[in-house]
Amino acid sequence: MQEYIVDATGLQKTYDTGLVSVAALRGVDLQVKRGEMVAIMGPSGCGKTTLLNCLSGLDEIDSGQVLIDGTVLHDLPDDARSDYRARSMGFVFQLYNLLPVLTAVENVEMPLLVSGVNAAQARRRSMELLDLVGLSERASHLPAELSGGQRQRVTIARALVNEPSIVWADEPTGDLDSETANDIMDLMCGLNQDNGQTFVLVTHGDEIGARAHRIVRMRDGRIEDDGGLPQTGETANSLAEPGN
Amino acid sequence: MEELFGVSMNIIMVALLVILIPSLAVVAVMAWRNRVMLKMGLRNIPRRPAQTVLIILGIMISTLIMAAAFGTGDTISYSIRIEAIKALGTIDEVISLPRASEDDNFGSQPYMPFDRFLQLSEETAGIENIDGLGPGIAEFAPVLNPRTSLSEGNMRIVGVFPDSVAEFGGLNLSSGGSARIEDLGSEHVYLNDDAAEELDAVEGDEVRIFLGDEELTFRVLGILEPGGLAGPDPTLAMPLERAQAVFGREGQINSIAVSNKGGVFSGAEHSEEVTRQLRVLFADPQVAEELKLLLMGADALDALERREQDLTGSLQAELASVRAELAKDGVSDKLISLLADRQVSEEILEALGSGGLRDAERQAVTLFDDLGELSIIDIKAQLIEIADEAGGQVTTFFVIFGLFSIMVGVLLIFLIFVMLAAARRTEMGMARAVGARRRHLVQMFVFEGSAYALVSGAVGVVLGLVASALIVAIVNRIFASTSGFEDFQMTRHFEARSVVVAYCLGTFITLATVGVSAYRVSRTNIVAAVRGLPDTAAVDTKGWREIALAPALAALRPFRLTGRGGSALLALQPLTSLGYLAQAWWAALTVPITIVQTLAQLIWRPFRQGWLALALGVVILFSSMQSNEISVFRIGGALTIVGLGLSMRSLLRSAQMRPDLRDRIAYTFMGVLMLAFWVVPFGWLSAVFGTLEGGGPELFFISGIAMVAAAVWTVMYNADLLLKLLTFITRPVGMLRPVLVTAVAYPMSSKFRTGLTLAMFALVIFTLIVMSILTRAFSTAAADVETSTLGWDIEGSVNFNTPIEDIRQAIADHPDLSPADFEAVGGYTTIPIEARQPGAENQRWRWYAVRAASDDFLDAAGGKLKIIADGYGDTAEEVWQALKDDSSLAVVDALAVPSRSRFDDSEVPFAMEGIFYEDERMDPIELEVREPNSGQIVNLKVIGVLDQLTDAFGQIGVGMFVSKSALDDAISFQIPITTYRFRVAPGVDLPQTANAVEAAFQKHGMETEVLEELVDEAAAANRAFNYLFTGFMGLGLLVGIAAVGVISLRAVVERRQQIGAQRAIGYRRRMIQLSFLFESSFVVLLGVAIGVGLGTVISYNIVSEIRNELESIQFSIPWLQIGIIVAVAYLFSLLTTYLPARQASRIYPAEALRYE
Repeated sequence: MQEYIVDATGLQKTYDTGLVSVAALRGVDLQVKRGEMVAIMGPSGCGKTTLLNCLSGLDEIDSGQVLIDGTVLHDLPDDARSDYRARSMGFVFQLYNLLPVLTAVENVEMPLLVSGVNAAQARRRSMELLDLVGLSERASHLPAELSGGQRQRVTIARALVNEPSIVWADEPTGDLDSETANDIMDLMCGLNQDNGQTFVLVTHGDEIGARAHRIVRMRDGRIEDDGGLPQTGETANSLAEPGN
Repeated sequence: MEELFGVSMNIIMVALLVILIPSLAVVAVMAWRNRVMLKMGLRNIPRRPAQTVLIILGIMISTLIMAAAFGTGDTISYSIRIEAIKALGTIDEVISLPRASEDDNFGSQPYMPFDRFLQLSEETAGIENIDGLGPGIAEFAPVLNPRTSLSEGNMRIVGVFPDSVAEFGGLNLSSGGSARIEDLGSEHVYLNDDAAEELDAVEGDEVRIFLGDEELTFRVLGILEPGGLAGPDPTLAMPLERAQAVFGREGQINSIAVSNKGGVFSGAEHSEEVTRQLRVLFADPQVAEELKLLLMGADALDALERREQDLTGSLQAELASVRAELAKDGVSDKLISLLADRQVSEEILEALGSGGLRDAERQAVTLFDDLGELSIIDIKAQLIEIADEAGGQVTTFFVIFGLFSIMVGVLLIFLIFVMLAAARRTEMGMARAVGARRRHLVQMFVFEGSAYALVSGAVGVVLGLVASALIVAIVNRIFASTSGFEDFQMTRHFEARSVVVAYCLGTFITLATVGVSAYRVSRTNIVAAVRGLPDTAAVDTKGWREIALAPALAALRPFRLTGRGGSALLALQPLTSLGYLAQAWWAALTVPITIVQTLAQLIWRPFRQGWLALALGVVILFSSMQSNEISVFRIGGALTIVGLGLSMRSLLRSAQMRPDLRDRIAYTFMGVLMLAFWVVPFGWLSAVFGTLEGGGPELFFISGIAMVAAAVWTVMYNADLLLKLLTFITRPVGMLRPVLVTAVAYPMSSKFRTGLTLAMFALVIFTLIVMSILTRAFSTAAADVETSTLGWDIEGSVNFNTPIEDIRQAIADHPDLSPADFEAVGGYTTIPIEARQPGAENQRWRWYAVRAASDDFLDAAGGKLKIIADGYGDTAEEVWQALKDDSSLAVVDALAVPSRSRFDDSEVPFAMEGIFYEDERMDPIELEVREPNSGQIVNLKVIGVLDQLTDAFGQIGVGMFVSKSALDDAISFQIPITTYRFRVAPGVDLPQTANAVEAAFQKHGMETEVLEELVDEAAAANRAFNYLFTGFMGLGLLVGIAAVGVISLRAVVERRQQIGAQRAIGYRRRMIQLSFLFESSFVVLLGVAIGVGLGTVISYNIVSEIRNELESIQFSIPWLQIGIIVAVAYLFSLLTTYLPARQASRIYPAEALRYE
């Protein structure tokens, strides 16, 4: 088993609109240990979301290398990368990005169905996850019929339904009030603690960041402070409860 | 083409321009006053070129259909006009004797002395607009060219008066130069081009004319250009004196041609005046006075007024003029002219007859007969009118058949603007939040819509004219392969006026739809729009009082503003005053809009609540039961169902039921009931609600709209059940399942958008399926040769001047014919007579025809009769035998019997009463038949009705069959047999035998046709026309396909972030692409399924109904054709979705997620 679930070196990414060229990542190195909860923070436009997208394979990189659990994600063909995401990754977005035409449970079971899991199993597992996030009674509601916090819980359930080894969360509490944001963070920290799943989250909020094991600070497309990578041999179990 | 739906095209054009130009001016003023909204409206057009192209293509369909319909109508009108002008040349009117004398022959125009022409020349010298009179003789005889052995059985032989030729523009040789009729010797003739072609004759050939036993030989001195005095059809011309000698009519003529001042086209403009003057000249003032006294009675005037109200167009105006002239002192020339007009006199007699004034009618018949010494036919004006009517009818037909596509086009425009609004909801919400008014949003969409309307109108006109050219080319091909039409080829012609009307109509339809959809869009909820929440139904908070007072306030506003303007002027503020006055002017212009809006609001609320629709529906339903009109019944029924459904919805709302459940119950109830109402066979409805009659293409249109709407309501309000079903069914399909589920979930979540698209597809497919099934059904019916031909194989007609004494003997005597080849030979002659039915309501003598059949014909005829009177057997053979045995019996054609549901209700000369074509049985019906010349009356008993196919394809024409011996005694002249029918022995070659018979009896002018070939040709032409109409209606498919493309393009834009999320959770590119393709497939196939299902059911009903009239018609589904239609619709829809789907699948997840 690889020690680092995420091992990125020399990541460079430039956006070229034709008129303007913006260097979003200027040689980023980042390692994340299995079971770790890492918060990426920094001012707007510093490249946090770009880094998350590049690490998770949602976006291409210009140069450098990303190893996810020992797999060079960017070398994979698009279909294989999609399959990898479906099997081994979960995503939580600021704007939830639920499919508005599907109910909560249907949204949650989507990654399983995409991975080819049997429909009955998928439904059972999705209900378990909804139960876990406290929304089993709202399973048949459409996203429009749920509050922001509830929607984000559904998103988290969706992110975790396929038991991913890593969950990427882009501003998971950015659209929520502080009370709900805390609830969501409680939920994520609990899951991280209980299941040993790795969480990489992008956030603006210091309070949110403070609840992670480690804060990686970025500025102008570079990592300013990697927050002190845990020592080799230190595992999720030996990591302290995040935020404590 | 001069008229559409009975309204002058000039009036339509002016009315449209009057509406459109100010509308566009208003839009322009609004744009000038509000340039921000103009920019916001227009900036989207160039931003998405693919979408703009699809929108323009979709929107232009209404204009395309109008332009295609008008272009085709113009072409037909123009082509017939040109044919008429070519045929008549400078001849504008023809004068002849109205009645034959004993000296006249059967089939010829009655003769008059040449001196009458000389006298007429003096009498008409004072008529300014006449520039020539041409006395002549016109007869028909067989002519043979021995060199080529070609003959023409019915050659027109004309005797031309040399002194008149110059007045008619002379005669021209087709080789160039003028022909001089006076130069022809006694053995010389001219042939016109058509005759030369028939005989393959050239200058110098000898031709033989057969007149009874006589055979006359002439040499052709030249070939004339046809038309005018040289005749329209195959014509042989000789000097009048020579023709008089040939036909034994020395010192006599049988027609006088009249040429008006002006050229071949402009001459007809004087026709009305010249005809009036000549009618006055020929009329007996004493008789006119008596007629006037007769018609001035109060009852007669009332009857005329009632008749006038039943008429339309020029006849209505003429009858109004008659009443006006009757009210004046004395007998005016105008009144005489009107009374001498045959069409007007027919209507007057009809008025008296239907008014129950039997005595007056009888007297009037006699007086009308005595009124004019000579009759005058304004032939050119009539032909031009026919040309215009034909053009108008064809246009109307195409417009009616294009209504579905126009309707679909309107739905598309609506859909496009609803989607554009959805896409810009947030920005509109923001605009409203920062102070933009509703009208600003309306304006923004109106600006954008106007730009689309103006461009798509132009594109539509151009493509419409191209479509019309295509239609004309196809029709020309159909004509070229149809007997009797080979020589008629249409020439493309478009009137500028039609182009303007098509453009204005198309643009107007677009603008009106844009206006309505913009108004709907403007009612968006600001908060919901800004926050991207689902829109709540806009609640109209206006009270009744406020609504009702709005027009009064709007009407007062200009005065208030003018008052302020006046005050400002008094306060020496001229600029402010000018501002107020401008506002007052604008307010005055918008008063009508406010009134219309108020009316709409006043009606809309109770309509939405259901009770107004219910009340209106019930009233219409009851009135339809009085009138027995099926169209009215259907509309009333449909409205009642809608009213019931909406009332139920209102009640459920009062009961505070959940909105989604309430809507599902109400709309499902409405949809299912409506479907049942339209799907129930017509016969069942008649059984419950009494006899219902009428119905035409418009009913087909209404039924299509109602059924499709009902099906779409039902489907859309139960969409979740469909989704659940699909979720259940797709459990085992693994990775495709998420794709399928979202492909159904997305369209089902946008009920309005999906419902509109479904309706579009279903409507188009519905029309195509109905057309296809009906085409197939009529094709099978038309293929019933036995019924069409009465069991005969060959028909041969001979010239009435050269009959065959004994056909059997003649065959036996001829060396090239073998009697053994013929199983049966019979013949008949068609004689015009007048008929009436004793005891019937209408007691006027009506023009009709008798087909006097020989005993041989009656012995061997077969076929099928639609109705046979009780006591005369069960088969056609038994009836023919009865006719042979009893010369007082007759069998009438199908047109002489009214139909309960005949689409074409064009006037037939004679129709019986007390019987319908759909009846299963009949009692014998007494008829009186009068020979017009001798006045001799024969009493007949009708014991059977021919199948309508016999007349449609069998070349028999109108008339009743009787035994020839029944008429021989009653008619003063001898009746020669002019039409023969042959049934050949088994194994004998039909075309060869037909040619042999034609060649054997060339001297008699024999021309033969193989009847089966005629039936096949007619059926093929029928099929070809049906395919043409199917293709025309298929234009709507373009709209449906464009709609799917537009929706897919919009969906890609709208769902970008969701696509990103899907990709993030593991959807492959192909899955995204498939999801879009499945989504389109779902909508298209559901629409297709609704269209095919409803189309098949309604076709089955129509075929079952027609089977009452046409027993041989069979319902069968043309699977191949339906398969092709479905495949084309589906494949092209997939193609238009493919590009957006591909585009969606290529979006990078991170990029999509970033998109807002």
